[in-house]
Amino acid sequence: MKTLWTKLYDWIDERVELGGLIEFMGKKYVPVNRHSVWYYFGGVSLFLFIIQVVTGILLLLYYKSGEQLAFESIQFIMSKVQFGWLIRSIHSWTANLFILTAMIHMFSVYFEKSYRKPREVTWVTGMLMLFLALGFGFSGYLLPWNELAFFATKVGTDIAGAVPIVGKPIMVFLRGGEDVTGATLSRFFGFHIAVLPGLFTVLLGIHLLMVQRQGMSEPMERGDQPAAERQRMPFFPNFLLRDLLLWLIVLNLLAILAVFFPWELGKKADAFASAPAGIKPEWYFLFMFQTLKYIPGKILFVDGEVLGILLFGLAGLLWMLVPFWDWKSSRGERNRFVNYVGIFVIFYIIILTVIGWIV
Amino acid sequence: MRPYVRSLAAAFIAFSAILSAASAQDKCLSCHEGVGGKPVELFQRDIHHAKGVTCAGCHGGNSKTDDMEKAMDKNAGYIGVPKGDEISKACAKCHSSAEMMKNLHSSIPTGQFEKLQLSVHGKLAVNGKERIVQCTTCHNAHGIVSVHSAASPVFPLNIVKTCTKCHGDPAFMRTYNPSLPVDQLEKYRTSVHGMRNLKGDAKVAECASCHGSHDIFPVKDPRSSIYATNVPQTCSHCHSDAKYMKEYKIPTDQYEKFSRSVHGVALLKKHDTGAPACNSCHGNHAATPPGVNSISKVCGTCHALNADLFSSSPHKKAFDERKLPECETCHGKHDIIVATNKLLGVTQEAVCSRCHSESQNAKGFEAARGMRSLIDSLESQEKTAVSLVEEAEQKGMEISEAKFKLRDAHQARLESRTMVHSFNQERFKEVVAKGLGVTASVREEAVDALDEYVFRRIGLGFATLAITILVVSLYLYIRRIERRQATGAE
Amino acid sequence: MMSDAGDSGQQENRRDFLKIALGGGLVAWLAAVLYPIFAYLNPPKQAEVEVTSVKAGKVSAFEKESGTIVRFGNKPVVLIRNAAGDFRAFLATCTHLDCTVQYRKDMGLIWCACHNGRYDLNGRNVAGPPPRPLDEYRVVIQGEEIFISKKA
Repeated sequence: MKTLWTKLYDWIDERVELGGLIEFMGKKYVPVNRHSVWYYFGGVSLFLFIIQVVTGILLLLYYKSGEQLAFESIQFIMSKVQFGWLIRSIHSWTANLFILTAMIHMFSVYFEKSYRKPREVTWVTGMLMLFLALGFGFSGYLLPWNELAFFATKVGTDIAGAVPIVGKPIMVFLRGGEDVTGATLSRFFGFHIAVLPGLFTVLLGIHLLMVQRQGMSEPMERGDQPAAERQRMPFFPNFLLRDLLLWLIVLNLLAILAVFFPWELGKKADAFASAPAGIKPEWYFLFMFQTLKYIPGKILFVDGEVLGILLFGLAGLLWMLVPFWDWKSSRGERNRFVNYVGIFVIFYIIILTVIGWIV
Repeated sequence: MRPYVRSLAAAFIAFSAILSAASAQDKCLSCHEGVGGKPVELFQRDIHHAKGVTCAGCHGGNSKTDDMEKAMDKNAGYIGVPKGDEISKACAKCHSSAEMMKNLHSSIPTGQFEKLQLSVHGKLAVNGKERIVQCTTCHNAHGIVSVHSAASPVFPLNIVKTCTKCHGDPAFMRTYNPSLPVDQLEKYRTSVHGMRNLKGDAKVAECASCHGSHDIFPVKDPRSSIYATNVPQTCSHCHSDAKYMKEYKIPTDQYEKFSRSVHGVALLKKHDTGAPACNSCHGNHAATPPGVNSISKVCGTCHALNADLFSSSPHKKAFDERKLPECETCHGKHDIIVATNKLLGVTQEAVCSRCHSESQNAKGFEAARGMRSLIDSLESQEKTAVSLVEEAEQKGMEISEAKFKLRDAHQARLESRTMVHSFNQERFKEVVAKGLGVTASVREEAVDALDEYVFRRIGLGFATLAITILVVSLYLYIRRIERRQATGAE
Repeated sequence: MMSDAGDSGQQENRRDFLKIALGGGLVAWLAAVLYPIFAYLNPPKQAEVEVTSVKAGKVSAFEKESGTIVRFGNKPVVLIRNAAGDFRAFLATCTHLDCTVQYRKDMGLIWCACHNGRYDLNGRNVAGPPPRPLDEYRVVIQGEEIFISKKA
């Protein structure tokens, strides 16, 4: 007796020929080893991104962009719209958690050297998505048009403007003018809901396609083990169900955060007021911000801040290109140097973030 | 000759010798003495003459020669009769130079000319050719004496006439500022200062005491000694000086009390020029403390409602009969503190109990007690409402409508404080009832917001329960699948 | 590894119970997720963010030579209708010490009870301690409705 599901499957199969796809998907296996837990972070990042899209669209139904109304519309969402407080707080919390899990995902891939051949494109698209995520965070932060966001944007775009030659035009492009004004808000809104999502979706598509096509990367130590002896589990249904389990727990966590730690709104932005003391950017920019503070004003003949920005740019670029300069891993050899660099970077980020927070 | 005649003659000769010797020093004077004229007469008594300053000191020229042409030679600096600004410039030649004044053995201050230039009198006159006032306008030209001398036109007893020469002339003042009053002198003469000044007391305040002498600015100019925020200090110059005021036998603590009071803090610390300074209650030129019966009218220029209510209340007659000053009896005059609820009622700190007790004036006693308990309850209700709203706000709930209503509650408290002055419990109850209504509705809204806060947590609990059931059953399902796969594989 | 009929029966019961728990949990979860979303999509009664403009009421509701306090966001605004029938609106907080002012028909002006401050019907401070005129708000009449908004 054919169930409803079987009937549905047959209907689609007659038109699209799912047979090959199903066979392919049934052959997907996920390595099971002591590093397997890290495999989940990619999925969680994806889940959080989906949450952002859904809550973002919901917020879009009530958010009014523009200097006069942005702040008030968020106040409205928080107070008058049913469960508006929930949607908004989830959106704000998820933004931070998304960047956190994406970074964990990125570092776990780094230390596993999963970026090595043939997965270079996966790595590069992933890094680009991480940069876009930071852009999402920066642009989204301004949208409530509150005091903190206004000044954080001012400082952030000022830093962008410090880059030699191209800095100023970039800053004017970002701000929609010389200063942070309502024009900046309009631009950031456009970036946040159209430009960045579009770019991100393309990169995500490539990233996921590569993962599906190439399967999960095995840890390097296992490379010499015969295929039959490697422990693994099927993606469908085992890994997928475990993924879903984790996603449910994450969703619950978000709800708890939204209820017990609602996201603040603060005061409406006032361009003529002086900046409140102790302005600092969100935590994911903090380590760079704090580093710039420590660099002396002038090094030789170069402006300290410019040097700092260029160094970070260079570091980011090198990091993104690691698959191309880490030939050892491509050959299957252990590369301790890469590990040391990675550990240094993690500690650097953590310590400077903590310092930036306390100071 | 008789001996005394001889000495008399000798004295006469000596005197004229000295005179002519002095005049001999000042050849201009000795010549013009022969010509005669008022200036020469006046100059004999002039302090400049006594100090050895010759005519040439102001007019220029050579005072040592007999030759008229040489003496009044332009090349020797002779300027003739100075006109307009030339006059003051001539004075300033010495009086603005500390060195010159030291050489002439004078210890009077310098810089008067500079001050005059900046002041309102230093502006251009109607004819456009010179400043309104020159040094000689007030000090005279040839018979100048020290300002401490009774003959000086700016001596305290004379200065009033000097200033009134212009400031009491409506036709003249009209050409500069038609809206400036010209009756200051008449007003002044009705005041204690004016009356004593007329009788010959040089210590009391006259024009320059308050307005300054050279650096006179308009009232609305913050640099003026009579600008609102500067008035208390100007008055206290004398009125806080116990030694100076000893003979007048009036207190000298008004400034100290005032600066502690509500009005003083508002005016002096917060620079609220809407707050009263000394002259707001005492008057300017006709300065006199308000009479016992009229204090409520004076206070009532700002505190209109309170004054009206008081005047139509039974207290007005009672106070007037007992010659008790209105307003001041309960609130003080210089040291008025913020009126809190504590002022009302029958406790020790309350002013009502000074006259009202259970046995004496009992009706008032009851009214006072009743009103105090009503206003206390209103205040405590308002406090509760405020704290509930704050709690809801702190918990992140939107409560701006209730906050707006709190304004009305605050307003009701202000109104009830004012209504006290009717001393009528019925009217008071009405006002308080309005306030209590507002606070009740604010509390309701705040409590609703706090309930919503709890609802969210309960809702979360249910959602978590649903998720937990799902998560646990999913976990078990996964385990089952994997067990089956394991057995299937074997 | 075969199990006898009794065992498999128990297993079947467990299977069913798990499937029921799973299904039930899924339904409960869907409800917990979809209920807030649908409630959110339902627009609140105050359909718009009202802070730049406030509907004060119908023209017929305000008599000539009258003044009414209207709530504008979190500020009070006094709406005045003069003898000629025209409407003016001003921020009703006194510029001296922030008390709420009131329209006084008997005085023909706006009055502050706290310290007897007075404003004419153009909002200009004419007597008493207030240092500045009242902020004026724009009044627009659309058909029968009066709208008060901030001056551009």
